[in-house]
Amino acid sequence: MPYLGGEETVRELRRALSNPNVQSDQLRYRNTILKVIRAMSQGVDMSGLFSEMVKACATVDVVQKKLVYVFLCSYAALNPELSLLVINTLRKDCQDPNPMVRSLALRNMTNLRLPSLVEYVEQPLAAGLRDRAACVRRVAVLGWAKLHNLQASSEIDAAVVNELYSLLRDPDPVVMVNCLRALEEILKDEGGVAINKPITHHLLNRLKECDIWGQCQVLRVLQRYRPQSEDELFDILSLLDASLVSPHPPIMAATLSLFLSLCSGQPAVSLAALERVRGPLLAACGSGSREMRFTALCHIQLLLRSIPGLMGAHYKRFFCGYAEPAYIKQRKMQVLVELVNDENVAMLLDELKGYCTDVNAETAQAAITAIGRIGRSYSDRCLEILTGLLGLKQDHITSAVVQTMRDLVWVCPQCSDTVCFALEGCEETLQDSQGRQALLWLLGVYGERVSSAPYTLEVFIDGVRSEASLGVKMELLTATMRLFLCRPAETQDMLGRLLHYCIEEETDMCVRDQALLYYRLLHCGIEETRKVLQGRRSDPSLGVLIGRPAEPVSQWARSFNTLEPLRQGSIETDGALNRLKQ
Amino acid sequence: MIGGLFIYNHKGEVLISRVYRDDIGRNAVDAFRVNVIHARQQVRSPVTNIARTSFFHVKRSNIWLAAATKQNVNAAMVFEFLYKMCDVMTAYFGKISEENVKNNFVLIYELLDEILDFGYPQNSETGALKTFITQQGIKSQHHSKEEQSQITSQVTGQIGWRREGIKYRRNELFLDVLESVNLLMSPQGQVLSAHVSGRVVMKSYLSGMPECKFGMNDKIVIDKQGKGGGSEDAAKSGKQSIAIDDCTFHQCVRLSKFDSERSISFIPPDGEYELMRYRTTKDIILPFRVIPLVREVGRTKLEVKVVIKSNFKSSLLAQKIEVRVPTPLNTSGVQLICMKGKAKYKASENAIVWKIKRMAGMKESQISAEIELLPTNDKKKWARPPISMNFEVPFAPSGLKVRYLKVFEPKLNYSDHDVIKWVRYIGRSGIYETRC
Repeated sequence: MPYLGGEETVRELRRALSNPNVQSDQLRYRNTILKVIRAMSQGVDMSGLFSEMVKACATVDVVQKKLVYVFLCSYAALNPELSLLVINTLRKDCQDPNPMVRSLALRNMTNLRLPSLVEYVEQPLAAGLRDRAACVRRVAVLGWAKLHNLQASSEIDAAVVNELYSLLRDPDPVVMVNCLRALEEILKDEGGVAINKPITHHLLNRLKECDIWGQCQVLRVLQRYRPQSEDELFDILSLLDASLVSPHPPIMAATLSLFLSLCSGQPAVSLAALERVRGPLLAACGSGSREMRFTALCHIQLLLRSIPGLMGAHYKRFFCGYAEPAYIKQRKMQVLVELVNDENVAMLLDELKGYCTDVNAETAQAAITAIGRIGRSYSDRCLEILTGLLGLKQDHITSAVVQTMRDLVWVCPQCSDTVCFALEGCEETLQDSQGRQALLWLLGVYGERVSSAPYTLEVFIDGVRSEASLGVKMELLTATMRLFLCRPAETQDMLGRLLHYCIEEETDMCVRDQALLYYRLLHCGIEETRKVLQGRRSDPSLGVLIGRPAEPVSQWARSFNTLEPLRQGSIETDGALNRLKQ
Repeated sequence: MIGGLFIYNHKGEVLISRVYRDDIGRNAVDAFRVNVIHARQQVRSPVTNIARTSFFHVKRSNIWLAAATKQNVNAAMVFEFLYKMCDVMTAYFGKISEENVKNNFVLIYELLDEILDFGYPQNSETGALKTFITQQGIKSQHHSKEEQSQITSQVTGQIGWRREGIKYRRNELFLDVLESVNLLMSPQGQVLSAHVSGRVVMKSYLSGMPECKFGMNDKIVIDKQGKGGGSEDAAKSGKQSIAIDDCTFHQCVRLSKFDSERSISFIPPDGEYELMRYRTTKDIILPFRVIPLVREVGRTKLEVKVVIKSNFKSSLLAQKIEVRVPTPLNTSGVQLICMKGKAKYKASENAIVWKIKRMAGMKESQISAEIELLPTNDKKKWARPPISMNFEVPFAPSGLKVRYLKVFEPKLNYSDHDVIKWVRYIGRSGIYETRC
């Protein structure tokens, strides 16, 4: 950023702008102003040139006018008195015979954002609402919204509001939509535009005339409407049917949102609408641009919560291409997990296995987690794949596999044998703390079946002084205690060493307190300790994957077609699982 | 709605910045740059949240376009708007590159002023915008009354996509059927997933307000006709029909007629526009079949042989064929033998790139490569990325054929026969991968 050159540039440009030779040559004048704007875009502070730019405003060259206005609108707040000079030029332009000039002037008057100018602006704005050219009316309507935004405390005259309501019947569709937007903003405290039957019917009849943005706006506003009879409801739905399968994803999403809110009392109709939308949503998933694909995928995830079988036959569309960006691959995998059933499980697992060795570590981990979730219903196959992956001896893969196995065992205790067998020898490849914590938990809870458990723990205990992660140390304590309870002879010695270190030498208070707690527990006796430490090993009620009850649509309908679905990481939070295991 | 729109170059320098609403401050520009453009990791998602402001971004070559908002907006709409902005800019000055943006930034500021008012998208039709924002500045302030009313009526008119009184000496029509065929094939040669997404783009230079009717070999239409004359006729006539999964049309097409009789009738806009978009997944003609053969010889050598077979009429020629065979990361050298085209090993991309300028149908070519590997201690097994292909073929892989395009203009005196019509089919590869 050219902070250093700023002063120089400003001085130079001021000289150029005040030079009468430059002022008389239209092209040179325009070029100088161009340089000012360019510097402004790059972040240099050009506010010193305000008075020169105000003089440049009085010109017949419309392009120059536009550039000057861009400048003035950015810096007007710093120079309220000088801005008053501009107002006269602007007011004159509002009477120009060319509608383009009129709309330009009106728009920039309202963009100036100066409370002191409000009184001068109101009159041209009111005249603009009745202008014969549509482009001026559009600008005037939004101008009132900007005015309200500027001075939220002052009431906009009721007469103006009434006039805006009547402009909803303007022949120009953009004026109509702008009125909606303006009224929504001005009447925000009262809940926005009053949507009653005549307005709704009028808007619906003119929906086809609007462009994409207009249609989205109208559909969004209509969500507040409640039809008075079932016939009326079905009339509206059949009218909007064509928009439901529109080629433009925003319109399709907005229509679906509207359907869902109108049919909130009739689940059957909502479900039928969701079925209709399947085709266009799939098309959006295959669209050329990644961002649209991502958005479509996030919305499909919402839909699948209510109709798990919606995309069942099309699961192949969610297979990931090799070069797709990581965020799309991860969402596709989440969707694939939802679509698994008896027929396609073999193919799906095969596909996911391929993604586990993806170059991007996060994608690989997401694939492994996905396999784990499928494992809740198809544990044998998934465990086979997971144990195979352990054989690759890659640290991020092994870490993810161990964590997945821990989660799997929590939900499906019948897998514990296979898991225990697989655990032998993986501690060498584990580097990150998450993986090690998972391994320690497994060793603690299933220690009696893993023959090498005490030796693995011993390695950890010997290295506890150099262990940086707090979580690992806590888990190590708990695991050693649990192992002691089932294999006392082998573990007693190292438990003693560990407790001694944690109580005497450890600086972190959490670890120390935990160790003290265990020490005192042991003093109370073995039975007491057993009661405390050996809690539940698993919770099968936490959900088999298939056969989950479908959520009613109303739970997510409100967040459809907003930013909500894009923000969620994954539908099920594994955090819930973690909390239960402590 | 959209609070601010910013355009950056690949270094993160701001080229254009326009703020529409008060809730976006000047530091939003910097926040995006620091957190996304200059971030260490790869882009995590096209939507980024920084301090309760959401940034939507789109990248075109190495230019970043970002829209910032603090409200809970329709995500799809913001992206669609960003794409529309890119389309408008491309229509004015071609490719979106740093140089073009810098040279035309007056134009871009004008466009931003017109397209977004107070953060709400207004008029964004390229045709309408071009009439009053030109690269030479506004043509003249003193438009005649007639021109003015034309502009405002196009900007506000009922048939918003075509204005009255268009005249051409030669009435011509160009139809381009552009398809993109996507394939995912397993190593055993089984098609895992295949679909074709296509667009019919029409360039029409017709006078007056003509009514057009477009016919293609749509399965439903042919079945209906076949029922009239016995179903064997349709099969006997040997005409293939295609089953379209779903299709969507330009706003000028009368959907009611399509729903009832499956006929596509419309009054076309002037110039170039997209008539319809469709998608098929059945009976796709896959122009190329790739047969890979990989053999590992010990730990230091890999023998790869790839055969491509072209699967279309021998009179047609495919062009710009490029086959990418990925190689392991520890490759030390590659020896290539190919009879057709040129093959090169590109170490920076870890792939062997084989380019063939032209290939006729029903032919076969092959390339064999001996890849020498550096010995490594890595027990990591190389996950073979798939072999991908790019090509262009002069037919529609979905099997779509244009049967007719009739033009009726009752008021002016030219008939359907006077219109010169051109049709061409261009099938391109999208994601065309064969696993090995």
